[in-house]
Amino acid sequence: MRRTLWAAALLGPPLAVSLVLFVGPLVYLFHVSLHEASQSELYGPGPTLANYAAILADPFYLTIIKRTLGTAAWILGLALLVGYPVAYFVALLPPRRRALVTLALLFPLMVSNVVRAYGWVAILGRRGVINTSLRDLGVIDAPLDLLFNQEAVVVGLLTILLPYMVISIANTLAALDRRYEEAAQALGAGPLRTFLHVTLPLSTPGVASGLLLVFLLTLSAYVTITLLGGPRSKLLVSLIFDSVVSFQWPLAAALAFTLLAIALALTGLILLVLRPQRVQGRG
Amino acid sequence: MRWGAWIRGLATALAFAVILCPILVVVLAAFSPTDYFVFPPPSLSLRWFAEFFRLDNMRNAFLLSLELALSSACIAATLGTFAALHLARRKGWVAAVLQALFLAPLVFPTIILGLALLLLYKSVGMPPLPGLILAHCVVGMPYCFRTVLGSVQSLDPALEEAGQSLGAGPLRTLFLVTLPLVWPGVLSGWLFAFIVSFGELNTALFLTGPGVTTLPIEIFSYLQFQGSQLVIAAASTLQIALIILMVAGIERVVGLGRIIRSR
Repeated sequence: MRRTLWAAALLGPPLAVSLVLFVGPLVYLFHVSLHEASQSELYGPGPTLANYAAILADPFYLTIIKRTLGTAAWILGLALLVGYPVAYFVALLPPRRRALVTLALLFPLMVSNVVRAYGWVAILGRRGVINTSLRDLGVIDAPLDLLFNQEAVVVGLLTILLPYMVISIANTLAALDRRYEEAAQALGAGPLRTFLHVTLPLSTPGVASGLLLVFLLTLSAYVTITLLGGPRSKLLVSLIFDSVVSFQWPLAAALAFTLLAIALALTGLILLVLRPQRVQGRG
Repeated sequence: MRWGAWIRGLATALAFAVILCPILVVVLAAFSPTDYFVFPPPSLSLRWFAEFFRLDNMRNAFLLSLELALSSACIAATLGTFAALHLARRKGWVAAVLQALFLAPLVFPTIILGLALLLLYKSVGMPPLPGLILAHCVVGMPYCFRTVLGSVQSLDPALEEAGQSLGAGPLRTLFLVTLPLVWPGVLSGWLFAFIVSFGELNTALFLTGPGVTTLPIEIFSYLQFQGSQLVIAAASTLQIALIILMVAGIERVVGLGRIIRSR
Protein backbone atom coordinates (compact mmCIF):
# COMPACT_ATOMS: atom_id res chain seq x y z
CA MET A 1 0.00 0.00 0.00
CA ARG A 2 2.73 2.40 1.00
CA ARG A 3 4.75 1.39 -2.04
CA THR A 4 1.86 2.08 -4.45
CA LEU A 5 1.30 5.45 -2.82
CA TRP A 6 4.99 6.22 -3.19
CA ALA A 7 5.00 5.15 -6.86
CA ALA A 8 1.94 7.32 -7.55
CA ALA A 9 3.54 10.30 -5.82
CA LEU A 10 6.60 10.00 -8.10
CA LEU A 11 4.68 9.44 -11.33
CA GLY A 12 1.81 11.84 -10.67
CA PRO A 13 3.43 15.28 -11.18
CA PRO A 14 5.42 14.53 -14.38
CA LEU A 15 2.50 12.59 -15.86
CA ALA A 16 0.10 15.44 -15.08
CA VAL A 17 2.43 17.96 -16.76
CA SER A 18 2.81 15.73 -19.83
CA LEU A 19 -0.93 15.19 -20.16
CA VAL A 20 -2.06 18.75 -19.44
CA LEU A 21 0.70 20.63 -21.29
CA PHE A 22 1.64 18.24 -24.10
CA VAL A 23 -1.04 15.70 -24.99
CA GLY A 24 -4.00 17.89 -24.00
CA PRO A 25 -3.02 20.95 -26.04
CA LEU A 26 -2.39 18.78 -29.11
CA VAL A 27 -5.83 17.17 -28.82
CA TYR A 28 -7.31 20.66 -28.45
CA LEU A 29 -5.35 21.88 -31.47
CA PHE A 30 -6.74 18.98 -33.53
CA HIS A 31 -10.23 19.86 -32.28
CA VAL A 32 -9.74 23.48 -33.42
CA SER A 33 -8.51 22.31 -36.85
CA LEU A 34 -11.90 20.64 -37.39
CA HIS A 35 -13.85 23.90 -37.09
CA GLU A 36 -14.65 26.86 -39.28
CA ALA A 37 -13.00 30.21 -38.71
CA SER A 38 -14.74 32.79 -36.57
CA GLN A 39 -14.44 36.57 -36.33
CA SER A 40 -14.75 36.88 -32.56
CA GLU A 41 -13.97 33.44 -31.11
CA LEU A 42 -10.98 31.11 -31.46
CA TYR A 43 -13.06 28.93 -33.77
CA GLY A 44 -16.54 28.76 -35.31
CA PRO A 45 -19.03 25.95 -35.93
CA GLY A 46 -17.96 22.41 -36.76
CA PRO A 47 -16.95 19.68 -37.09
CA THR A 48 -15.78 20.07 -40.67
CA LEU A 49 -12.88 18.96 -42.81
CA ALA A 50 -13.08 22.21 -44.81
CA ASN A 51 -9.67 23.49 -43.59
CA TYR A 52 -7.86 20.36 -44.72
CA ALA A 53 -9.79 20.28 -48.00
CA ALA A 54 -8.84 23.92 -48.61
CA ILE A 55 -5.14 23.17 -48.04
CA LEU A 56 -5.11 20.15 -50.34
CA ALA A 57 -7.07 21.93 -53.10
CA ASP A 58 -4.97 25.11 -53.13
CA PRO A 59 -2.06 25.06 -55.61
CA PHE A 60 -0.24 27.66 -53.47
CA TYR A 61 -0.13 25.36 -50.46
CA LEU A 62 0.83 22.38 -52.60
CA THR A 63 3.73 24.36 -54.10
CA ILE A 64 4.95 25.23 -50.60
CA ILE A 65 4.62 21.61 -49.44
CA LYS A 66 6.63 20.48 -52.47
CA ARG A 67 9.26 23.14 -51.77
CA THR A 68 9.42 22.03 -48.12
CA LEU A 69 10.01 18.42 -49.16
CA GLY A 70 12.57 19.46 -51.79
CA THR A 71 14.51 21.60 -49.31
CA ALA A 72 14.42 18.81 -46.73
CA ALA A 73 15.64 16.29 -49.32
CA TRP A 74 18.65 18.52 -50.15
CA ILE A 75 19.48 19.02 -46.49
CA LEU A 76 19.17 15.29 -45.67
CA GLY A 77 21.22 14.22 -48.69
CA LEU A 78 24.03 16.69 -48.02
CA ALA A 79 24.01 16.04 -44.27
CA LEU A 80 24.43 12.33 -44.92
CA LEU A 81 27.09 12.86 -47.59
CA VAL A 82 29.20 15.16 -45.39
CA GLY A 83 28.21 13.75 -42.02
CA TYR A 84 29.05 10.10 -42.66
CA PRO A 85 32.79 10.53 -43.36
CA VAL A 86 33.04 12.95 -40.43
CA ALA A 87 31.33 10.41 -38.17
CA TYR A 88 33.74 7.76 -39.39
CA PHE A 89 36.67 10.05 -38.60
CA VAL A 90 35.30 10.74 -35.11
CA ALA A 91 34.57 7.05 -34.42
CA LEU A 92 38.15 6.02 -35.23
CA LEU A 93 39.67 8.50 -32.73
CA PRO A 94 40.98 7.24 -29.38
CA PRO A 95 38.34 7.67 -26.60
CA ARG A 96 39.79 10.78 -24.93
CA ARG A 97 40.11 12.70 -28.19
CA ARG A 98 36.74 11.44 -29.37
CA ALA A 99 35.18 12.96 -26.24
CA LEU A 100 36.78 16.33 -27.01
CA VAL A 101 35.67 16.32 -30.65
CA THR A 102 32.15 15.32 -29.57
CA LEU A 103 32.12 18.28 -27.20
CA ALA A 104 33.21 20.53 -30.09
CA LEU A 105 30.20 19.19 -32.03
CA LEU A 106 27.82 19.55 -29.08
CA PHE A 107 28.80 23.11 -28.28
CA PRO A 108 27.31 24.63 -31.48
CA LEU A 109 24.05 22.81 -30.73
CA MET A 110 23.86 24.67 -27.42
CA VAL A 111 24.09 28.07 -29.12
CA SER A 112 20.67 29.41 -30.07
CA ASN A 113 19.71 28.83 -33.70
CA VAL A 114 18.96 32.53 -34.11
CA VAL A 115 22.60 33.31 -33.31
CA ARG A 116 23.86 30.73 -35.78
CA ALA A 117 21.48 31.96 -38.50
CA TYR A 118 22.64 35.52 -37.77
CA GLY A 119 26.21 34.29 -38.36
CA TRP A 120 25.20 33.25 -41.87
CA VAL A 121 23.47 36.61 -42.43
CA ALA A 122 26.75 38.30 -41.43
CA ILE A 123 28.65 36.10 -43.89
CA LEU A 124 26.23 36.05 -46.87
CA GLY A 125 24.48 39.43 -46.53
CA ARG A 126 24.98 42.38 -48.92
CA ARG A 127 27.39 43.91 -46.41
CA GLY A 128 28.59 40.47 -45.31
CA VAL A 129 32.06 38.96 -45.14
CA ILE A 130 31.97 37.40 -48.62
CA ASN A 131 30.68 40.47 -50.44
CA THR A 132 33.02 42.95 -48.75
CA SER A 133 36.02 40.66 -49.23
CA LEU A 134 35.27 40.16 -52.93
CA ARG A 135 34.77 43.90 -53.39
CA ASP A 136 38.03 44.74 -51.64
CA LEU A 137 39.80 42.26 -53.89
CA GLY A 138 38.21 43.96 -56.91
CA VAL A 139 36.41 40.82 -58.11
CA ILE A 140 32.94 42.38 -58.04
CA ASP A 141 31.55 45.92 -58.26
CA ALA A 142 28.05 45.40 -56.90
CA PRO A 143 27.27 43.06 -53.99
CA LEU A 144 26.02 39.59 -54.90
CA ASP A 145 22.60 38.45 -53.71
CA LEU A 146 23.62 35.45 -51.66
CA LEU A 147 20.87 35.69 -49.07
CA PHE A 148 17.09 35.20 -49.28
CA ASN A 149 17.00 32.16 -51.53
CA GLN A 150 16.55 28.44 -51.12
CA GLU A 151 20.30 27.75 -51.31
CA ALA A 152 20.92 29.98 -48.29
CA VAL A 153 18.24 28.08 -46.34
CA VAL A 154 19.82 24.74 -47.29
CA VAL A 155 23.34 25.86 -46.35
CA GLY A 156 22.20 27.45 -43.09
CA LEU A 157 20.06 24.55 -41.89
CA LEU A 158 22.60 21.98 -43.08
CA THR A 159 25.37 23.51 -40.98
CA ILE A 160 23.07 24.06 -38.00
CA LEU A 161 21.84 20.44 -37.98
CA LEU A 162 24.94 18.60 -39.20
CA PRO A 163 26.26 17.86 -35.67
CA TYR A 164 23.13 15.78 -34.94
CA MET A 165 23.84 13.59 -37.97
CA VAL A 166 27.54 13.23 -37.12
CA ILE A 167 26.94 12.36 -33.46
CA SER A 168 24.19 9.83 -34.28
CA ILE A 169 26.30 7.95 -36.83
CA ALA A 170 29.53 8.23 -34.81
CA ASN A 171 27.86 6.65 -31.78
CA THR A 172 26.82 3.60 -33.80
CA LEU A 173 30.17 3.32 -35.59
CA ALA A 174 32.14 3.58 -32.34
CA ALA A 175 30.05 0.83 -30.75
CA LEU A 176 30.52 -1.42 -33.78
CA ASP A 177 32.47 -4.65 -33.26
CA ARG A 178 35.66 -4.27 -35.35
CA ARG A 179 35.87 -8.05 -35.74
CA TYR A 180 33.13 -7.96 -38.41
CA GLU A 181 35.31 -5.79 -40.63
CA GLU A 182 38.38 -7.87 -39.91
CA ALA A 183 36.46 -11.02 -40.80
CA ALA A 184 35.34 -9.52 -44.13
CA GLN A 185 38.91 -8.51 -44.98
CA ALA A 186 40.29 -11.88 -43.92
CA LEU A 187 37.81 -13.47 -46.32
CA GLY A 188 39.27 -11.39 -49.14
CA ALA A 189 36.98 -8.34 -49.40
CA GLY A 190 38.75 -5.08 -50.30
CA PRO A 191 38.27 -1.91 -48.20
CA LEU A 192 35.44 -0.61 -50.41
CA ARG A 193 33.54 -3.91 -50.37
CA THR A 194 34.01 -4.23 -46.63
CA PHE A 195 32.59 -0.74 -46.20
CA LEU A 196 29.60 -1.25 -48.52
CA HIS A 197 28.63 -4.73 -47.35
CA VAL A 198 29.62 -4.71 -43.66
CA THR A 199 30.19 -1.27 -42.11
CA LEU A 200 27.44 0.66 -43.90
CA PRO A 201 24.62 -1.84 -43.23
CA LEU A 202 25.67 -2.18 -39.59
CA SER A 203 25.53 1.59 -39.14
CA THR A 204 21.92 1.97 -40.35
CA PRO A 205 20.53 2.61 -36.82
CA GLY A 206 22.75 5.70 -36.54
CA VAL A 207 21.95 6.81 -40.08
CA ALA A 208 18.21 6.42 -39.45
CA SER A 209 18.21 8.37 -36.18
CA GLY A 210 20.43 11.07 -37.73
CA LEU A 211 18.11 11.44 -40.74
CA LEU A 212 15.02 11.55 -38.50
CA LEU A 213 16.47 14.19 -36.16
CA VAL A 214 17.63 16.41 -39.02
CA PHE A 215 14.34 16.02 -40.88
CA LEU A 216 12.10 16.77 -37.89
CA LEU A 217 14.19 19.78 -36.87
CA THR A 218 14.19 21.08 -40.46
CA LEU A 219 10.38 21.04 -40.53
CA SER A 220 9.99 23.39 -37.56
CA ALA A 221 13.01 25.69 -38.06
CA TYR A 222 10.89 28.81 -38.62
CA VAL A 223 13.45 31.39 -37.50
CA THR A 224 16.32 30.07 -39.63
CA ILE A 225 14.08 29.75 -42.68
CA THR A 226 12.77 33.29 -42.25
CA LEU A 227 16.17 34.92 -41.69
CA LEU A 228 17.96 33.14 -44.55
CA GLY A 229 15.10 32.52 -46.98
CA GLY A 230 13.26 35.82 -46.73
CA PRO A 231 9.68 36.25 -47.94
CA ARG A 232 10.18 34.42 -51.25
CA SER A 233 11.52 31.12 -49.89
CA LYS A 234 8.77 30.32 -47.41
CA LEU A 235 8.24 26.75 -46.26
CA LEU A 236 5.24 25.06 -44.65
CA VAL A 237 6.22 26.20 -41.16
CA SER A 238 6.22 29.85 -42.33
CA LEU A 239 2.59 29.45 -43.43
CA ILE A 240 1.64 28.23 -39.94
CA PHE A 241 3.21 31.33 -38.45
CA ASP A 242 1.59 33.62 -41.05
CA SER A 243 -1.89 32.27 -40.34
CA VAL A 244 -1.32 32.74 -36.59
CA VAL A 245 -0.30 36.36 -37.17
CA SER A 246 -3.52 36.89 -39.16
CA PHE A 247 -5.57 35.16 -36.39
CA GLN A 248 -6.80 32.33 -38.65
CA TRP A 249 -6.64 29.80 -35.82
CA PRO A 250 -8.43 26.82 -37.43
CA LEU A 251 -6.33 27.18 -40.60
CA ALA A 252 -3.12 27.39 -38.54
CA ALA A 253 -4.19 24.26 -36.64
CA ALA A 254 -4.95 22.37 -39.86
CA LEU A 255 -1.59 23.42 -41.33
CA ALA A 256 0.13 22.23 -38.15
CA PHE A 257 -1.45 18.81 -38.48
CA THR A 258 -0.58 18.72 -42.19
CA LEU A 259 3.04 19.30 -41.14
CA LEU A 260 2.72 16.58 -38.51
CA ALA A 261 1.25 14.14 -41.05
CA ILE A 262 4.18 14.81 -43.40
CA ALA A 263 6.60 14.30 -40.48
CA LEU A 264 4.98 10.96 -39.56
CA ALA A 265 4.78 9.75 -43.17
CA LEU A 266 8.46 10.45 -43.81
CA THR A 267 9.49 9.00 -40.47
CA GLY A 268 7.69 5.80 -41.48
CA LEU A 269 9.32 5.88 -44.92
CA ILE A 270 12.84 6.33 -43.51
CA LEU A 271 12.34 3.49 -41.03
CA LEU A 272 10.83 1.27 -43.73
CA VAL A 273 13.67 1.82 -46.19
CA LEU A 274 16.56 1.61 -43.73
CA ARG A 275 15.01 -0.98 -41.38
CA PRO A 276 17.37 -0.10 -38.48
CA GLN A 277 15.81 -2.81 -36.29
CA ARG A 278 17.60 -5.43 -38.47
CA VAL A 279 20.85 -4.58 -36.70
CA GLN A 280 21.15 -6.44 -33.42
CA GLY A 281 22.52 -4.90 -30.27
CA ARG A 282 22.44 -1.29 -31.50
CA GLY A 283 24.66 1.11 -29.62
CA MET B 1 42.14 2.77 -47.95
CA ARG B 2 44.58 5.72 -48.14
CA TRP B 3 42.09 7.89 -50.00
CA GLY B 4 39.38 6.81 -47.54
CA ALA B 5 41.39 8.51 -44.81
CA TRP B 6 41.79 11.59 -47.04
CA ILE B 7 38.03 11.85 -47.61
CA ARG B 8 37.36 11.53 -43.86
CA GLY B 9 39.95 14.17 -42.95
CA LEU B 10 38.78 16.58 -45.64
CA ALA B 11 35.08 16.17 -44.75
CA THR B 12 35.86 16.75 -41.07
CA ALA B 13 37.83 19.93 -41.78
CA LEU B 14 35.05 21.20 -44.05
CA ALA B 15 32.31 20.31 -41.56
CA PHE B 16 34.00 22.04 -38.64
CA ALA B 17 34.67 25.11 -40.81
CA VAL B 18 31.03 25.53 -41.84
CA ILE B 19 29.70 24.67 -38.38
CA LEU B 20 31.97 27.01 -36.43
CA CYS B 21 32.55 29.92 -38.87
CA PRO B 22 29.13 31.56 -38.39
CA ILE B 23 29.61 31.53 -34.61
CA LEU B 24 33.14 32.97 -34.88
CA VAL B 25 31.97 35.71 -37.24
CA VAL B 26 29.27 36.76 -34.75
CA VAL B 27 31.76 36.93 -31.88
CA LEU B 28 34.22 38.90 -34.00
CA ALA B 29 31.49 41.31 -35.12
CA ALA B 30 30.50 41.95 -31.49
CA PHE B 31 33.93 43.51 -30.80
CA SER B 32 33.76 45.84 -33.82
CA PRO B 33 34.47 49.53 -33.24
CA THR B 34 32.61 50.48 -36.46
CA ASP B 35 28.91 51.09 -37.15
CA TYR B 36 28.78 48.15 -39.55
CA PHE B 37 30.74 44.96 -39.52
CA VAL B 38 33.96 45.31 -41.53
CA PHE B 39 36.00 42.21 -42.15
CA PRO B 40 38.67 42.11 -40.86
CA PRO B 41 37.83 44.67 -38.13
CA PRO B 42 40.35 47.57 -37.91
CA SER B 43 40.51 47.29 -34.10
CA LEU B 44 38.56 45.83 -31.19
CA SER B 45 36.17 47.63 -28.85
CA LEU B 46 33.52 46.95 -26.23
CA ARG B 47 31.25 49.65 -27.66
CA TRP B 48 28.41 47.28 -28.62
CA PHE B 49 28.39 45.55 -25.24
CA ALA B 50 27.96 48.95 -23.57
CA GLU B 51 25.16 49.66 -26.03
CA PHE B 52 23.54 46.32 -25.18
CA PHE B 53 23.34 47.12 -21.46
CA ARG B 54 22.17 50.68 -22.22
CA LEU B 55 19.13 49.45 -24.19
CA ASP B 56 16.24 48.62 -21.84
CA ASN B 57 14.59 46.08 -24.13
CA MET B 58 17.83 44.12 -24.63
CA ARG B 59 18.73 44.12 -20.94
CA ASN B 60 15.21 43.11 -19.93
CA ALA B 61 15.09 40.32 -22.51
CA PHE B 62 18.42 39.01 -21.21
CA LEU B 63 17.21 39.05 -17.61
CA LEU B 64 13.89 37.46 -18.53
CA SER B 65 15.64 34.68 -20.45
CA LEU B 66 17.88 34.05 -17.45
CA GLU B 67 14.92 33.95 -15.05
CA LEU B 68 12.96 31.72 -17.42
CA ALA B 69 15.84 29.29 -17.95
CA LEU B 70 16.57 29.04 -14.22
CA SER B 71 12.97 28.44 -13.13
CA SER B 72 11.97 26.12 -15.97
CA ALA B 73 15.18 24.06 -15.61
CA CYS B 74 14.57 23.62 -11.88
CA ILE B 75 10.98 22.45 -12.41
CA ALA B 76 11.98 20.27 -15.38
CA ALA B 77 14.81 18.65 -13.40
CA THR B 78 12.49 17.88 -10.48
CA LEU B 79 9.75 16.40 -12.67
CA GLY B 80 12.21 14.54 -14.90
CA THR B 81 13.87 13.03 -11.83
CA PHE B 82 10.49 11.94 -10.44
CA ALA B 83 9.57 10.25 -13.72
CA ALA B 84 12.97 8.58 -14.04
CA LEU B 85 12.91 7.26 -10.45
CA HIS B 86 9.47 5.81 -11.08
CA LEU B 87 10.30 4.19 -14.42
CA ALA B 88 13.93 3.13 -13.97
CA ARG B 89 13.18 -0.33 -12.59
CA ARG B 90 9.86 -1.00 -14.30
CA LYS B 91 9.21 -3.19 -17.35
CA GLY B 92 6.18 -4.00 -19.48
CA TRP B 93 4.09 -2.07 -21.94
CA VAL B 94 2.79 0.57 -19.49
CA ALA B 95 6.36 1.55 -18.63
CA ALA B 96 7.27 1.58 -22.34
CA VAL B 97 4.34 3.86 -23.19
CA LEU B 98 5.15 6.21 -20.32
CA GLN B 99 8.81 6.36 -21.33
CA ALA B 100 7.86 7.17 -24.93
CA LEU B 101 5.49 9.88 -23.65
CA PHE B 102 8.20 11.49 -21.49
CA LEU B 103 10.74 11.43 -24.31
CA ALA B 104 8.35 12.52 -27.07
CA PRO B 105 8.94 16.32 -26.83
CA LEU B 106 12.59 15.69 -27.85
CA VAL B 107 11.63 14.85 -31.43
CA PHE B 108 8.20 16.48 -31.64
CA PRO B 109 8.11 19.60 -33.89
CA THR B 110 8.17 22.24 -31.16
CA ILE B 111 6.53 24.84 -33.37
CA ILE B 112 3.32 22.76 -33.23
CA LEU B 113 3.63 22.47 -29.46
CA GLY B 114 4.01 26.27 -29.30
CA LEU B 115 0.85 26.80 -31.34
CA ALA B 116 -1.10 24.22 -29.30
CA LEU B 117 -0.05 25.86 -26.03
CA LEU B 118 -0.90 29.32 -27.38
CA LEU B 119 -4.46 28.18 -28.14
CA LEU B 120 -4.79 26.48 -24.74
CA TYR B 121 -3.44 29.56 -22.93
CA LYS B 122 -5.80 31.82 -24.88
CA SER B 123 -8.83 29.78 -23.92
CA VAL B 124 -7.95 29.64 -20.21
CA GLY B 125 -6.46 33.15 -19.96
CA MET B 126 -2.94 32.20 -18.88
CA PRO B 127 -0.58 35.15 -18.21
CA PRO B 128 2.54 35.18 -20.45
CA LEU B 129 5.41 34.52 -18.00
CA PRO B 130 4.03 31.41 -16.22
CA GLY B 131 2.90 30.18 -19.63
CA LEU B 132 6.45 30.47 -20.97
CA ILE B 133 7.92 28.78 -17.90
CA LEU B 134 5.54 25.83 -18.26
CA ALA B 135 6.21 25.56 -22.00
CA HIS B 136 9.96 25.43 -21.39
CA CYS B 137 9.38 22.81 -18.68
CA VAL B 138 7.74 20.55 -21.25
CA VAL B 139 10.63 21.13 -23.67
CA GLY B 140 13.34 20.62 -21.02
CA MET B 141 11.87 17.70 -19.08
CA PRO B 142 12.89 14.95 -21.56
CA TYR B 143 16.57 15.92 -21.23
CA CYS B 144 16.42 15.60 -17.44
CA PHE B 145 14.37 12.41 -17.65
CA ARG B 146 16.91 10.80 -19.98
CA THR B 147 20.02 11.69 -17.97
CA VAL B 148 18.53 10.65 -14.61
CA LEU B 149 17.10 7.45 -16.10
CA GLY B 150 20.59 6.53 -17.30
CA SER B 151 22.06 7.29 -13.87
CA VAL B 152 19.46 5.26 -11.94
CA GLN B 153 19.69 2.30 -14.31
CA SER B 154 23.46 2.11 -13.91
CA LEU B 155 23.01 2.09 -10.13
CA ASP B 156 23.31 -1.21 -8.25
CA PRO B 157 19.76 -1.98 -6.94
CA ALA B 158 21.38 -3.74 -3.96
CA LEU B 159 22.31 -0.32 -2.55
CA GLU B 160 18.68 0.80 -2.36
CA GLU B 161 17.58 -2.59 -1.06
CA ALA B 162 20.25 -2.39 1.63
CA GLY B 163 18.88 0.98 2.71
CA GLN B 164 15.34 -0.38 2.87
CA SER B 165 16.29 -3.60 4.65
CA LEU B 166 18.05 -1.51 7.29
CA GLY B 167 14.69 0.08 8.02
CA ALA B 168 14.73 3.26 5.92
CA GLY B 169 11.40 4.14 4.30
CA PRO B 170 11.21 5.02 0.60
CA LEU B 171 11.65 8.75 1.30
CA ARG B 172 14.74 8.25 3.47
CA THR B 173 16.21 5.77 0.96
CA LEU B 174 15.66 8.36 -1.78
CA PHE B 175 17.39 11.20 0.06
CA LEU B 176 20.14 9.20 1.79
CA VAL B 177 20.99 6.59 -0.88
CA THR B 178 19.57 7.19 -4.37
CA LEU B 179 19.84 10.97 -4.80
CA PRO B 180 23.44 11.27 -3.55
CA LEU B 181 24.38 8.63 -6.14
CA VAL B 182 22.42 10.00 -9.13
CA TRP B 183 22.83 13.74 -8.56
CA PRO B 184 25.46 14.15 -11.32
CA GLY B 185 22.75 12.93 -13.72
CA VAL B 186 20.25 15.36 -12.25
CA LEU B 187 22.75 18.21 -12.56
CA SER B 188 23.64 17.53 -16.20
CA GLY B 189 19.94 17.17 -17.02
CA TRP B 190 19.34 20.53 -15.35
CA LEU B 191 22.18 22.03 -17.40
CA PHE B 192 20.65 20.83 -20.65
CA ALA B 193 17.20 22.07 -19.69
CA PHE B 194 18.74 25.47 -18.85
CA ILE B 195 20.65 25.70 -22.13
CA VAL B 196 17.69 24.56 -24.23
CA SER B 197 15.41 27.11 -22.56
CA PHE B 198 17.99 29.90 -22.89
CA GLY B 199 18.18 29.48 -26.67
CA GLU B 200 14.65 28.24 -27.36
CA LEU B 201 12.80 29.85 -30.28
CA ASN B 202 9.85 27.79 -31.43
CA THR B 203 7.50 27.93 -28.46
CA ALA B 204 8.75 31.37 -27.38
CA LEU B 205 7.86 32.65 -30.85
CA PHE B 206 4.16 32.19 -30.05
CA LEU B 207 4.16 32.74 -26.30
CA THR B 208 6.13 35.99 -25.95
CA GLY B 209 4.37 39.29 -26.23
CA PRO B 210 4.89 43.00 -25.64
CA GLY B 211 6.97 43.44 -22.49
CA VAL B 212 7.61 39.72 -22.09
CA THR B 213 10.31 38.81 -24.61
CA THR B 214 13.20 36.38 -24.41
CA LEU B 215 16.68 37.22 -25.68
CA PRO B 216 16.56 34.91 -28.74
CA ILE B 217 13.20 36.38 -29.80
CA GLU B 218 14.50 39.92 -29.23
CA ILE B 219 17.51 39.12 -31.43
CA PHE B 220 15.17 37.68 -34.06
CA SER B 221 12.87 40.69 -34.18
CA TYR B 222 15.85 43.07 -34.35
CA LEU B 223 17.20 41.11 -37.32
CA GLN B 224 13.80 41.09 -38.99
CA PHE B 225 12.73 44.67 -38.49
CA GLN B 226 15.80 46.81 -37.72
CA GLY B 227 18.50 45.24 -39.88
CA SER B 228 21.70 43.79 -38.56
CA GLN B 229 22.89 46.32 -36.02
CA LEU B 230 25.93 45.12 -34.19
CA VAL B 231 24.23 45.29 -30.82
CA ILE B 232 22.70 41.91 -31.71
CA ALA B 233 26.19 40.54 -32.26
CA ALA B 234 26.96 41.62 -28.69
CA ALA B 235 23.72 40.03 -27.46
CA SER B 236 24.59 36.81 -29.29
CA THR B 237 28.11 36.81 -27.86
CA LEU B 238 26.72 37.18 -24.34
CA GLN B 239 24.47 34.21 -25.07
CA ILE B 240 27.47 32.14 -26.16
CA ALA B 241 29.58 33.32 -23.20
CA LEU B 242 26.93 32.31 -20.69
CA ILE B 243 26.68 28.82 -22.23
CA ILE B 244 30.46 28.35 -22.10
CA LEU B 245 30.47 29.47 -18.48
CA MET B 246 27.68 27.08 -17.51
CA VAL B 247 29.20 24.09 -19.31
CA ALA B 248 32.62 24.80 -17.81
CA GLY B 249 31.12 25.11 -14.34
CA ILE B 250 29.17 21.87 -14.55
CA GLU B 251 32.14 20.12 -16.16
CA ARG B 252 34.20 20.93 -13.05
CA VAL B 253 31.52 19.32 -10.90
CA VAL B 254 30.39 16.24 -12.84
CA GLY B 255 33.07 15.72 -15.51
CA LEU B 256 33.23 15.98 -19.28
CA GLY B 257 32.17 12.42 -20.06
CA ARG B 258 28.82 12.81 -18.36
CA ILE B 259 27.92 15.97 -20.26
CA ILE B 260 28.67 14.23 -23.56
CA ARG B 261 26.76 11.08 -22.68
CA SER B 262 23.74 13.03 -21.50
CA ARG B 263 23.25 14.85 -24.79
